[in-house]
Amino acid sequence: MVGLRYAFFLGCWIHSELYPLEMATREVLPRFGVELVDVPGFSCCGYPLRSMNVASMLYLSSRNIALAEAEGLDLFPLCNGCHASISEVKHILDNDPEIRGRINDELSIEGLRYRGTARIRHILQVLSEDVGAEKISASVDRRMRGFRVAPHYGCHAIRPSFVGRPEDAEDPKVLDGLVRAIGATVEYYPERLDCCGSSLGVADIEAALRVAGRKLQAISVNGFDAATTVCPFCYKMLDGRQDVAKKVVGDMGISVPVFYFMQLLGLAMGIEPRRLGLHLNQSPVDKAIAKMEAVVS
Amino acid sequence: MTGLRAVAVIGGGIAGIQASLDLAERGFQVYLVERSPSIGGTMALLDKTFPTLDCAICILAPKMIEALRHPKIRLLTYSEATGLSGEAGDFKLRIRRRPRYVDEGRCTGCGTCASKCPTKVPDEYQMGMSQRKAIHVPFPQAVPLVYTIDDKSCIHLTRGGCGLCEKVCEAKAINFDQKAEEMEVNVLGIVVATGLTPWDPTPLKEYGYHRFRDVVTAMELERMITATGPTEGKLLRPSGLGHPKRIAFIQCIGSRDLSKGLPYCSAVCCMHATKEAILVKEHEPGAEVTIFYTDLRAFGKGFRDFANRARDEYGISYVRAKPAEIRENKNRSLSFWYENTQTGEIAEANADLLVLCTALTPNPDNAALAKTLGLELDDNGFFRHPHSVLLPTSTTREGVYVCGYAQGPKDIPDSIAEASGASALLAVVGRGRP
Repeated sequence: MVGLRYAFFLGCWIHSELYPLEMATREVLPRFGVELVDVPGFSCCGYPLRSMNVASMLYLSSRNIALAEAEGLDLFPLCNGCHASISEVKHILDNDPEIRGRINDELSIEGLRYRGTARIRHILQVLSEDVGAEKISASVDRRMRGFRVAPHYGCHAIRPSFVGRPEDAEDPKVLDGLVRAIGATVEYYPERLDCCGSSLGVADIEAALRVAGRKLQAISVNGFDAATTVCPFCYKMLDGRQDVAKKVVGDMGISVPVFYFMQLLGLAMGIEPRRLGLHLNQSPVDKAIAKMEAVVS
Repeated sequence: MTGLRAVAVIGGGIAGIQASLDLAERGFQVYLVERSPSIGGTMALLDKTFPTLDCAICILAPKMIEALRHPKIRLLTYSEATGLSGEAGDFKLRIRRRPRYVDEGRCTGCGTCASKCPTKVPDEYQMGMSQRKAIHVPFPQAVPLVYTIDDKSCIHLTRGGCGLCEKVCEAKAINFDQKAEEMEVNVLGIVVATGLTPWDPTPLKEYGYHRFRDVVTAMELERMITATGPTEGKLLRPSGLGHPKRIAFIQCIGSRDLSKGLPYCSAVCCMHATKEAILVKEHEPGAEVTIFYTDLRAFGKGFRDFANRARDEYGISYVRAKPAEIRENKNRSLSFWYENTQTGEIAEANADLLVLCTALTPNPDNAALAKTLGLELDDNGFFRHPHSVLLPTSTTREGVYVCGYAQGPKDIPDSIAEASGASALLAVVGRGRP
């Protein structure tokens, strides 16, 4: 296994709060021969400026791409939001020579240049296309057998289609395939495309929590053992905010173990939960881990 | 002026049949070229027609028979136009007759061959919802009533052996050695009437077609409710869960859709859905039937009355909304949210059977035919005219006319009227004034 090297881009939120995502990813991916290169000088992805100053957003995103290109690497933003934003900027720059020229003028101050050679890789693509489901399947044990997982895709991974997303907007399948690759069971549930609520968080936190609560209720009602996602926003809403979300929807019976997909993959590979940051999850993951361990012990 | 009194009609649906009959009645020798084994076209697939609820095959079959028996019409079924030379008033049209592997002159249409044929394949005439044999007639009223061996699935033709049909045919009509025949006809002019094809809604994944079993297209429903359909007229959910009690129609699936579908209005779906909703009510009087429409296009003669009757006499609900994401529940029922754009309300609906009224496209093979005949198509695959307002049945080649859905989206009566119009213009070519 050679050649899987990426400029690893963490963005702001994973750095500052969602440590388990970075822990699990740094723990798991190298085991598949993936080299995560930390490129000095990465900045904000630009997304927070999107509605205030588009030029700044374009500049910041393309600067990060240019840094990866200077290293001759594809860019791998771990955060779904960063990936969507950087992909959108790449789409704009690749299709508008004038904007690209202006951005390159700005980048030249630092001696950087946007060439458009780096691909922006999503974690779903890294796992399903670059590593491949076969290698993943070969690396896991039987602990996931019969374990029913609800996939939660998250909006950034599926839209907008025209900038190129890793999943189909109306019928996503890639995450399902990865859940199957680790030996777990994945089933269609009617609410699978429902929002986690995160995007409402700033404007109306109660509405956001109600949406999250309903999603968790649906996962409970459908009898899943756990839910999984590759998005930091969804992970935060469904895991970190599960306790408060269940109060908002008045359903104290909700009890859904929520895993970042890398954590689930790491567990299936037999990696110790602490190394995957699972002690930092706030949803009841322990019962799910116990159930898996009962299968292999 | 050559004194030539022969013409060709390409496409044997209702428009092509009407054009052929009109021209034959004017004394022209007509070569009616149809690609499939039988004439009849899309109308032969329909249960009833709007707005009068006439039985489609009952009013079509007499015309099909008339075309068969007319001394001035030569039916060239299972045949395709392959080349055109010359000019208006003196064309040479090359036609390729595909081998049916059955002698048209000998086959009596008894059907013993099909009853013994061991090979089953999805039946196109039933929208793939049931199976037919490799040797088949497309539908019971087929014209000509001659069997055809499908060379893609026949055991003898694909890998040798079998030959059961040959053994049991008392008329000695089976001929595995039959070859394609090329022929050339000298004609004054041509009427093109290649009709329509329902658009496949699979790319609109939000509607769950092929993912959820009880999501069907309007053409599939048409076969499901007709007496000659796969369930012999019993309206049943494809999931096997009995009779549907809540049926929802969604209009404009792929029509007027600038993102993933086609930009134009398919013209017949509002009335087609209204007709099918009435038929559903006749099958299941207690059922709740709702049509979710974009804006109800009841523009034709008798159409508004028809829709009013559907609403007032049959109790069919019309809701102005475009549902987006269809979900399948644990009990296999389907649910979706929608915004009623007349009241602004957001509501949820449930259905046991969801009918997608898909766009209708011009025949996808028009591109190849246009090349063969030296014609031009517009951006949507309809034939282009030298002037779209004043010469709506002319094509960009003199002496070649177009009618029916190949001309543009339209219903059956308009297709028939246009066929008569196109054939009248072609008759003028025959009088030496192209």
